Amino acid sequence: MKKFYTLILLLGVVCASNLYAQNMSDMRLNEVLVTNTEGFEDDYGYRSGWIELFNTSYGTVDIAGCYLSTDPNNLTMYMIPKGDVLTKVQPRQHILFWADGIANRGTFHLGFTLDGAKEVIFTAADGRTVIDRVEFPALEPNKSYGRKMDGEGSAAEVGVFYTSYRNSLKDAEAKADKSTKFGWINMDNPTPSTNNATLVGESKSAMMAKNDPYGIFMTVTAMGVTFLVLAILYIVFKQVGKFHIKKKSENATKAVAGIAQSGKADTSGQVSAETYAAISMAIHLFMQDNETHDFEDTVLTINKVSRTYSPWSSKIYTLRETPQLKK
Amino acid sequence: MVYEASIFDNLTQFFMFTGFANVTLGHIVMILIGLVFIYLAITKDWEPMLLIPIGFGILIGNIPLFPGLNVGVYEQGSVLNIFYQGVSQGWYPPLIFLGIGAMTDFSALISNPKLMLIGAAAQFGIFGAYTLALALGFSPAEAGAIGIIGGADGPTAIFLSGRLAPDMMGAIAVSAYSYMALVPVIQPPIMRLLTTEKERVIKMKPPRAVSPTEKRLFPIVGFLLTAFIVPSGIPLLGMLFFGNLIKESGVTKRLATTASGPLIDVMSILIGITVGASTQADKFLQWSSVKIFILGAFSFVIATLTGVLFVKFFNLFLKEGNKINPLIGNAGVSAVPDAARVSNNVGLEYDKRNYLLMHAMGPNVAGVIGSAVAAGILLAFLA
Repeated sequence: MKKFYTLILLLGVVCASNLYAQNMSDMRLNEVLVTNTEGFEDDYGYRSGWIELFNTSYGTVDIAGCYLSTDPNNLTMYMIPKGDVLTKVQPRQHILFWADGIANRGTFHLGFTLDGAKEVIFTAADGRTVIDRVEFPALEPNKSYGRKMDGEGSAAEVGVFYTSYRNSLKDAEAKADKSTKFGWINMDNPTPSTNNATLVGESKSAMMAKNDPYGIFMTVTAMGVTFLVLAILYIVFKQVGKFHIKKKSENATKAVAGIAQSGKADTSGQVSAETYAAISMAIHLFMQDNETHDFEDTVLTINKVSRTYSPWSSKIYTLRETPQLKK
Repeated sequence: MVYEASIFDNLTQFFMFTGFANVTLGHIVMILIGLVFIYLAITKDWEPMLLIPIGFGILIGNIPLFPGLNVGVYEQGSVLNIFYQGVSQGWYPPLIFLGIGAMTDFSALISNPKLMLIGAAAQFGIFGAYTLALALGFSPAEAGAIGIIGGADGPTAIFLSGRLAPDMMGAIAVSAYSYMALVPVIQPPIMRLLTTEKERVIKMKPPRAVSPTEKRLFPIVGFLLTAFIVPSGIPLLGMLFFGNLIKESGVTKRLATTASGPLIDVMSILIGITVGASTQADKFLQWSSVKIFILGAFSFVIATLTGVLFVKFFNLFLKEGNKINPLIGNAGVSAVPDAARVSNNVGLEYDKRNYLLMHAMGPNVAGVIGSAVAAGILLAFLA
């Protein structure tokens, strides 16, 4: 029993760590700018290189305690401070870190610069698990290196939590243009804290109006899926039913065989009184139409019961005793 | 004299705050509609649990207001607005589905699972209305929201229209509930028209006894299968099957009692009153509402028609003795249990010993699953 509880506890710990890691793993390095001489300014009015992260999920992710670094041998160069509500990145939103080397300017000012750096590494709070990593080419001043689409493209080189995702991206990468890292491009117009590509997308409804103006394809698709869902349920429960009936008959056969073996079977040819009663009741119900209904009329009749006398209605008990002067 | 003038000014000012000073013809029409709903619910017993809250909600929503009092349903932060969040954010309908799941007995469906296909066939009502709504000039999102009326399922209609066409939600909800109340009027003529005398007296095999294990398996397997195929339907399907599991598990009686009793009652009150209150004259009294009512009727007709015709078609492949009475085809629209009652009543007209109620409950509850699946599909394509 002790082992069982230990196992449950271990499972809980593993699940909890996975849950935590999955939140973190939704973050992506999204854009990097090394030399900033005429672009975006920080709150102090200074210009410096920056690193942009993007939350790819549809939930808020707190990156407090995670690390940013430019050195694969020192993943913990800058720890994102804990206790700042601004480290909670909203769904599908960006967050920008200034690589000015002056960490005491605030949460979003890194303790290192990007001068001479060739890569940026984003590491989970354990200081070991790399969540995302990007190597970037030599960049001209005021030009950045970023993902074509926010959060899409190559994932981390190292990362223990989403190997299958990384593999699928690697396959795509292998097929892609080798001159640039898949999904990453040199950007002449940096886009700090905003979308790397502006989507001028139509709503699904507008696209549907264009592609299927009469609703024929929608009808066929949706009805097909509805039939499919219920047909699968039908097939599954038909088999479940068959299995159940088979099992029931097997059990019945076993029971009869058991009775026969134990010699308890009624071999005298006499039928029990209960059986007669059941048959009689069935015939009675069948013969009388009025009795064969399967639901009640649910009419409740309450008759008034008149009582000529009750202590509750007696005036004698409800009146106070006539006060009498005691002499 | 000064005091008199001041009192007169105050009274005049107060009058400007009253409903009498702000009333329009639209308000009066809507109030009359609300009163008709209440009348029909009380005297005709048409879906009173829904029409009374909706009817009174219409009265609440159409009291002429002086703007800025922060009491209207559309005024941010007002009490009614807070109630309305359950509709606009779509969390009342899944809770109602939880209660429906806890009340529904799927035995009829489990014992004869082929009846599930009737529940699928009847969803043609949704998509028939969808195509017609497109032809009438509605956008695909609006058409989807209108089409779901054919699912004959109020919470589903509110859930989907709240996402796809929030401005039309009031008209769609009122239309859906009105036609659900009118199921005993709309369906029988179509059923008689499409069936022969011989078909109407088909006797179906009595449903077999379903074991508790099968009943417990159904919500789990049902949810996993449906949700994997249509993940967008999770809020409705998840709650429906969860509600059924707490009923059938046999160990969570208290939860099942709460879900099928007090919880669903509270939700019905809130959803009814807020949907009613959302039908303010300026939003409700439009040509689009008239079109929605026409399309709603059309969707119910199509759903009934396809349900009955599908059974007739299905019978071509079934052996003698296994055939299905086409009078239960109408029950494929959700409208639980009214549609099943209609099957039973029409069946009894032609054979007084042919009770179809239990058989009709199969497609009836399959219709609930089918309409939730259809809503999920529409949501995935159009939201």
